[in-house]
Amino acid sequence: MFPKIPQFPIRHRVYTMFKIVVCVKAVPDPKEACNIKIDPATKTLMRCDVPMVLNPLDKYALEAALQFKAEFDAHISVLSMGPPEAGNIVKECLALGADRGFLLSDRAFAGADAFATAYTLAKGIEKNGPYDVVFCGMASSDGSTEWVGPEIATFLKIPVVTRIKEIVEYNGQWWTVKAELENGYRLVRVQIPAVFTVTRELNTPRRLSFSGIIKARKKEITRWGIQELGVPEESVGLKGSPSMVSTIASMDSRRKVEILEGKREEKAEQLVQRLVNAGVI
Amino acid sequence: MGKSRGPVWVIAEQIDCRILEVSFQLIGHGRKLAAALDTTVEAILLGHKMEEHPRQLFAAGGDRVYLGNDPELAVYQPEIYTEIIEKLAKERQPEIILVGSTAMGRELAPLIAARLDTGLTAHCIDLVIDGNKVLESRIPAYGGLLSIICPDRRPQMATIATGVFPNPEPDESRTGEIIPIEVPKKIPRRIQTLEVVREEPEGMDLESATIVVAGGAGAGDPAGWRKIAGLAEVLNAALGATRPAVDEGWAALETMIGQSGKMVSPELYIGVGLSGELQHMVGISGAKIMVAINNDAKSPVFEQVDYGIVDDYREFVPVFIEKIKEYQGKLKTC
Amino acid sequence: MIDFTFTEEQEMFRKAAQEFAETQVAPNVPEMEKTGKASQDLVKAMAEAEMMALTIPEEYGGLGLGYTARFIALEEISKVSVAAGMMLQVFALGIEPILKFGSDAQKKNFLPGLATGERLASTAVTETTGGSDPTGIRSTYKKDGEDYILNGRKCFITNSHIADTITVLAKDDENPKAFSTFILEKGMEGFKATHEENKVGMRGCNTGELAYENCRVPKENLIGVEGKGLGVALAAIGDVGRGGMVACALGLQAACLEVSVKFANERILYGKPISRLQTIQNKLADMKIDLEAGRLLGYKAASMQDKGERSSNEFAVAKYFTTEAAQRAAKMASDIHGGYGCMEEYAVSRYMRDSFVLGPSAGTSDIMKVIIARWTLS
Repeated sequence: MFPKIPQFPIRHRVYTMFKIVVCVKAVPDPKEACNIKIDPATKTLMRCDVPMVLNPLDKYALEAALQFKAEFDAHISVLSMGPPEAGNIVKECLALGADRGFLLSDRAFAGADAFATAYTLAKGIEKNGPYDVVFCGMASSDGSTEWVGPEIATFLKIPVVTRIKEIVEYNGQWWTVKAELENGYRLVRVQIPAVFTVTRELNTPRRLSFSGIIKARKKEITRWGIQELGVPEESVGLKGSPSMVSTIASMDSRRKVEILEGKREEKAEQLVQRLVNAGVI
Repeated sequence: MGKSRGPVWVIAEQIDCRILEVSFQLIGHGRKLAAALDTTVEAILLGHKMEEHPRQLFAAGGDRVYLGNDPELAVYQPEIYTEIIEKLAKERQPEIILVGSTAMGRELAPLIAARLDTGLTAHCIDLVIDGNKVLESRIPAYGGLLSIICPDRRPQMATIATGVFPNPEPDESRTGEIIPIEVPKKIPRRIQTLEVVREEPEGMDLESATIVVAGGAGAGDPAGWRKIAGLAEVLNAALGATRPAVDEGWAALETMIGQSGKMVSPELYIGVGLSGELQHMVGISGAKIMVAINNDAKSPVFEQVDYGIVDDYREFVPVFIEKIKEYQGKLKTC
Repeated sequence: MIDFTFTEEQEMFRKAAQEFAETQVAPNVPEMEKTGKASQDLVKAMAEAEMMALTIPEEYGGLGLGYTARFIALEEISKVSVAAGMMLQVFALGIEPILKFGSDAQKKNFLPGLATGERLASTAVTETTGGSDPTGIRSTYKKDGEDYILNGRKCFITNSHIADTITVLAKDDENPKAFSTFILEKGMEGFKATHEENKVGMRGCNTGELAYENCRVPKENLIGVEGKGLGVALAAIGDVGRGGMVACALGLQAACLEVSVKFANERILYGKPISRLQTIQNKLADMKIDLEAGRLLGYKAASMQDKGERSSNEFAVAKYFTTEAAQRAAKMASDIHGGYGCMEEYAVSRYMRDSFVLGPSAGTSDIMKVIIARWTLS
């Protein structure tokens, strides 16, 4: 069964398969996130007790790649920087339909801020070979900075469009997309290769399927450490992070709480009374 | 004493030739930072038909404005804006760069930070200069308040949402230097904003509302969410949401209140079915009265409000609405 | 001995089943509760999610994932709806006789359609005169040329009205000691699903009666050797039927425990959540103990099944233990909820009703003990 030939040649190359890279992250399950605490010694997140799952927005990024692949055919590589336990989310992406997985994992990568994370991922993307498009989730549910996508693009020296809510047109080397704004959107035309960070508006991610999980058995996940990436220690992890946490303080609550008691009707009446007295309704 | 420091920069943002409030707020706060560092405040403003605008930036507290005034700069063009700011920063060596946490800011700031090889802090709710003359960016996280610093590299960068800092009192008598910027010709133009399309926001504007009702994960389902919306309606309040509620699809992202959403400062805030997570609560500043309705008596939200109702909101809210309507009815008759 | 951890792949199966249960099963539950009828949407969704293909080998269009994977899927689905779990488990029960005892032709003929969910399956043994005692059935078959003529009625059959192929156990007209199993297909002349039951629990799982009057069944539809059908039926029920019940029961127990913990943490009495009270903690501990023990019994039997070993005895132990435990769990959960446990809007009232339908399904607890005693004494 021949793959459908995409309608466009890429750069100067003769037809080669369109290559998509999706960057994903393992995050503490957002539904149990309230149990997470900060380690006061290392001042980084202690993630032990809460199960790690695929960052929700990354599912949308992967779905964008999978939908492209269904229409035009493509090879999808998934990259993730994380501890060895994060391997299961890469496997999950393979089960959802990605072709190849890479886990950038090394003690040296730990404690990275967005800058060092983006740098490491960019190096991993470069090592993987030529690519046409990089999809990322707009932000992770834990760090939630939104910085990694644009910084990867900068290190790769390619353009980026953040907060994609719709891909309007794939036209050879020029894509037209809608990028979300506060009230509305920007219509942007961008030349690929480029980085796209996606929002939940873009698509509806597919669910895991049993047959997808079976197919994933034959797909490879490769682990790359600092040796394989060939990057200096000072550029990655805690050492490579320009930002660091200096102090942790607790937030004081300055309010005196009154829990209203009594039957429902009484409580409601009391509450209305209090609010009226305070002049707020 | 010691090496003189570069200025505090604010990347001002304009939309349709109007400078956003956050830009003025950052200049206002920037003055405090600059004073502690014994340096000046400068703003970069890129747009078209911007001749009159530097005046406003001076009035807010800026000492110098770098003005890019060109049709090509009318709307945000990532590569061009980044190139201009990067070049200027390498020339002028600012100590600090502040950017509003807007859609544009959240794309532009990391592009600049990566080009300048420096750190960038997101979701700041406060900025102070510490004992070592280093910028401390304070962000709420995981039950605490973190101070992030970028000790070695310069500039130190941060994004701040509108409403975190107050609007400065404009001083029309202030003036400053305007330095014109040219649009660089020889840069790759691989990306182009073709047009900016505005859509009317649904519902009331959260940031200016006097009463805000917010719903969270405890709403449970769309039917429940509608009950909460009903409460907002009867109070003529703006309806906001926490991140879980947005994730479930009950509320739009634009209505999210919190660290990575909107900052609100109503007189009355009522949180329904939410747990009072820090990331959300920091979005509410200076509310006169805060109320929480939650069926879990152990919920942390009850430590952060003035009045708490421990009840199933599905049962309580309809009764509450009744009582409010009764009260409103009485008002009309006297 | 054994490694008690699930493989990475099995964890992914569980995840896939959980996602399915939460997004595709849960929305159908209110309607199922109201009407008591099987949901066509749910059946379609199950087919799309390849749920019917789990135990069917790849060469016949299935996924060939085996019985542990099936167990995992059933457990997660039952946690959201026991009725949905029951419906699905009986599909596999209907598939099993063809899978294990069918001829190549029968497998080629029936399995692909069953794998895609285009056709649905069930197995019918129970009659008014014998369920616990299958030899007491009165359905008969009589040879007529190359074909067989079947007469009789079945009752309490799951998927009676939605199944396309039903494996039916009948007695030789002339020899009351000989039994055979036949594949009856929907639409066969003289065969129809008659009365549909209105159950108080497991609502949304179709249970009903079948009747076949002078129903002509071609010889191609006889499973295995004529006269040796009892073994076919009992093997399917003993391994797959019982196994399915264990998974359904465990799912229900997990659901009971979850809602109990949630309620106990939220309900304030004497100034603190009731989860701090020892009597409540005792109940939660009991539920937890039963769940942990039941899981070990169930997954051990399922792993034997995957190795191709006979597991009916192990599943008898597990079925007895877990279905009894599920009834206890539902009662304890209801007690923890107090008055709220009687209210329809609290899921726990449904769990109570679902729990006691688990008991008599696929063999009563008393019958389980008979089987276990026989095993012990052998």
